[in-house]
Amino acid sequence: MAPLPLGHPEMDASLDTIRHQIVQLLPRLRRFAVALTGSMADGDDLVQDTVERALKNLHAWEPGSRLDSWMFRIAKNRFIDTRRSWKRGKTVAIEAVEEPAWDGEGAMQAHLAFQDTAKALQTLPVEQRQAVALVLVDGLSYREAADILEIPIGTLTSRISRAREALMATLEG
Amino acid sequence: MDREILNKFVDGQLPPQEMARIAALLETQPDMKDYVAKQEKLSASLRFEAVMQAPPPSRLVEAVHKTPVSWRWRLFAGRRGFGLPWLLPAGTALLVGLVLGITMRPAGDLALSHGEMLARGALAQALDTRLASAGYDGEGPRIGISFRDRDGSACRTFASGHQAGLACHRSGDWVVTTLVTQASESGGAYRMAGSQMPETVRRAVEVSIQGQAFDAETEARARANGWTGK
Repeated sequence: MAPLPLGHPEMDASLDTIRHQIVQLLPRLRRFAVALTGSMADGDDLVQDTVERALKNLHAWEPGSRLDSWMFRIAKNRFIDTRRSWKRGKTVAIEAVEEPAWDGEGAMQAHLAFQDTAKALQTLPVEQRQAVALVLVDGLSYREAADILEIPIGTLTSRISRAREALMATLEG
Repeated sequence: MDREILNKFVDGQLPPQEMARIAALLETQPDMKDYVAKQEKLSASLRFEAVMQAPPPSRLVEAVHKTPVSWRWRLFAGRRGFGLPWLLPAGTALLVGLVLGITMRPAGDLALSHGEMLARGALAQALDTRLASAGYDGEGPRIGISFRDRDGSACRTFASGHQAGLACHRSGDWVVTTLVTQASESGGAYRMAGSQMPETVRRAVEVSIQGQAFDAETEARARANGWTGK
């Protein structure tokens, strides 16, 4: 079968669907990225990088397989590849959150809790932080998280356990 | 009790019966109950609800809409027969339209079983035992590259006579997922070294490979493990 010509309506419709699905994933990707980088601004840079990578390599995604897992995997890899540049999160956590969620009753408290948690995550080794970002933050199953991180499920389980102990110590201490 | 088990309980990762057993146990063990309560609170504090509810910044939405997709996606999208792959589970699309021709030659090297084409005889033996890294001695089927596909199966390209293809190791058998028969002008076998792999086989590899092709060490290890596992 010959390739469809560029701009073919059917192809454009499918591409629109994929782009729409990615827009739907943005909040989850942002949350994952902020958990990894510790900063909203760095997190958003990571998400932008991830989105651009994903679309430029869209042929590597198999239609029918999970788009979210695939994009989380790209984000994870990009974070590892470029993490020397994610420095801001170490000094200033969540400096630029402008969303209405911070307004009103208890906003300051919520903001502080947010900063505490984001900072506590930064104290974890990267491997544990990735596991936590997928399981505790995003709520994926151990199996899904292990697949994304490309590690055995037993490794994932022990990383989660160690991270839970460490986070508890940090946040209680 | 093992903390790992309790953590799995908090994360809802135990089988239903085990979840129920631990839930009942907690009622008699205040220490454990306290631990679980604290871990549950920790999970709740990590949801970043504010980020989930905030509209994403326009630069991200713009990146989604404006970043051009790869030309290779457009190529494959057309070749896969548009619309169809969306209805099929992962991996099935691969099997559609890639099996171009089947001739059972040499006899005994291929068998059909439950709708799948399986490697037998010299082909199966070559897939099981030969290492591409060891070089080709000019006899029998030649093995090309080996890799793991998206389902985690070990897969290997091969060439034998006028045929070339891709076989993946599933449930102890080599399932031939792609087979191309083509008479070469010289009458010789395909040379499977890299770029000379038939286009159809190369495509099949491209759409199914997970990560990189095996290097010599990974190939040897995979053979030692009987082509199973990770």
